[in-house]
Amino acid sequence: MEKAQKSTKAARGTVTCDNTTMHLLKANDFVAESIRRKMAEQGILLLNITSSAGSGKTTLLQETAKRIGHKVNMKILVGDLETERDADRLRAVGVDALQIVTGGICHLEAQMVWQAMDNLDLNGVELLIVENVGNLVCPASFDLGEDYRVTLIATTEGDDKPKKYPRMFLTSELMLVSKTDLLPYLPFSVDAVVADARDINPNIGVLQVSSTQDIGIDEWCNWLLEKVKEKQSSTTHKKNESHVFSDPR
Amino acid sequence: MHEISLVRNIFNTLESEFSKAELGNLSAIDLRVGKLSNVEPILMQNAFEAVTTAEDKYQQVRLNIEVVPIEIYCSACDARSTIEDYKFACAACGQPNNNVVKGTELLIHRVHFG
Ligand SMILES: Nc1nc2c(ncn2[C@@H]2O[C@H](COP(=O)(O)OP(=O)(O)OP(=O)(O)O)[C@@H](O)[C@H]2O)c(=O)[nH]1
Ligand SMILES: [Mg+2]
Ligand SMILES: [Zn+2]
Repeated sequence: MEKAQKSTKAARGTVTCDNTTMHLLKANDFVAESIRRKMAEQGILLLNITSSAGSGKTTLLQETAKRIGHKVNMKILVGDLETERDADRLRAVGVDALQIVTGGICHLEAQMVWQAMDNLDLNGVELLIVENVGNLVCPASFDLGEDYRVTLIATTEGDDKPKKYPRMFLTSELMLVSKTDLLPYLPFSVDAVVADARDINPNIGVLQVSSTQDIGIDEWCNWLLEKVKEKQSSTTHKKNESHVFSDPR
Repeated sequence: MHEISLVRNIFNTLESEFSKAELGNLSAIDLRVGKLSNVEPILMQNAFEAVTTAEDKYQQVRLNIEVVPIEIYCSACDARSTIEDYKFACAACGQPNNNVVKGTELLIHRVHFG
C-alpha cells in the first residue's frame, strides 16, 4: 500500500501521491456524485444511453416517448458534437428534450449534464434519459451520476464489438441489440454478441429491439417502467427513514 | 480521444497540490494508467509533448506511463486473477466475475523533483 504524502513542506526528491487526490477524473466524479445525490433526493431515475455513432439511440428514444410518454414523466438530454438535430427529433414526438452541444468533445462530462439540468424543469420528472455522444470509448470513462448505463449495439456493427470496448460493456446494466429487423440480411450473430458481452460482464441484461419494426420495444419500455418504480420506492423508503431520524418524538 | 484534456488535468492537479516554486523544479511525472482506462500511452505521450510545447511550460518534465493490468477479486476463493483476454472469470474457480479491483485507474502515482 502506498502511503499518502502531504505536500505542505517543500516537495523534493520523489513524492508518492495519494491515489484519490491525484486521480485525473476526480473533478468529473465529484460532480457525478452531486448529480447522483440530487437524483436520489428527487426520486428521478437517470439513464445514460451509449453506443457507437448511428446505432439507433435517438430513434429508440422517439419510439419510447411515443409508447410511454403519457405513463411516465420523462425528459431527455442529448449530447451531440455539433448539431441540435436529435433534440428537434425528440421534441417532434412531444418529449421535452434539451441538446447539449459538446463542441467537438467526444463524450459528455458530468459538468455538462449538471449545467444542462439548470435549464430543465425537473419538477415531477420521474425519468431523465441522457443520450450520450455516439462513441464507445471515451463516454465509458465518464460517470454522469446515472443509475444505469444502457448500451446499444446495432446489427449493422460487428458482433465482436464488446471485447473491443470492454469498459463500456463492463459498466452497462443492459445491452440492447438494435436494428434486429435487418438480421436476415447481415452476418451478425446475436448469440455471438451476447457471448462476447457476457465474457466481460456476466450480469449484463440483453434485449433485442427494432425501432422501425416494433420488435422488443414493449420489453424495453417495461424494463424502464420497472426501474422507475424501483427508484421511486427506494426514495420514499429513504424519505420515511430520514423522517423518523429527524423527528425524535 | 481526450488525451489533450487529460494532460491539462495533469497540470491542473499538480498545480493545486504543489507550489509554483516546487513545480519549477519538477523533473518527471509517473502516471498509472489501467488497461480499462481507454488511454493509449503513445497518444498520451504525444499529447503531453504537444501541450508542453504549445504552452511553453514543463518542457523539462518527463512523462512515465505505467500500464496496469486488469485484476478481478473472487470473494468465494479469496483470490485475485489477472484478466488477459477480456474473459472476466476467476482463475481459481472459473466462475464469471466482473469485480474489477485493478485496471481502471488513471492517476498520478509519483512525481519527481530536482
Ligand atoms: N433498419 C433500422 N434502421 C434504424 C433502426 N433504428 C434506427 N435506424 C436508422 O439508423 C440511423 C441512425 O439512427 P439514430 O437513431 O439517429 O442513431 P443514433 O444512435 O441516435 O445516432 P447518433 O446520435 O448520431 O450517434 C437512422 O437512419 C435511423 O433511421 C432500426 O431499428 N432499424
Ligand atoms: Mg442520436
Ligand atoms: Zn473464484
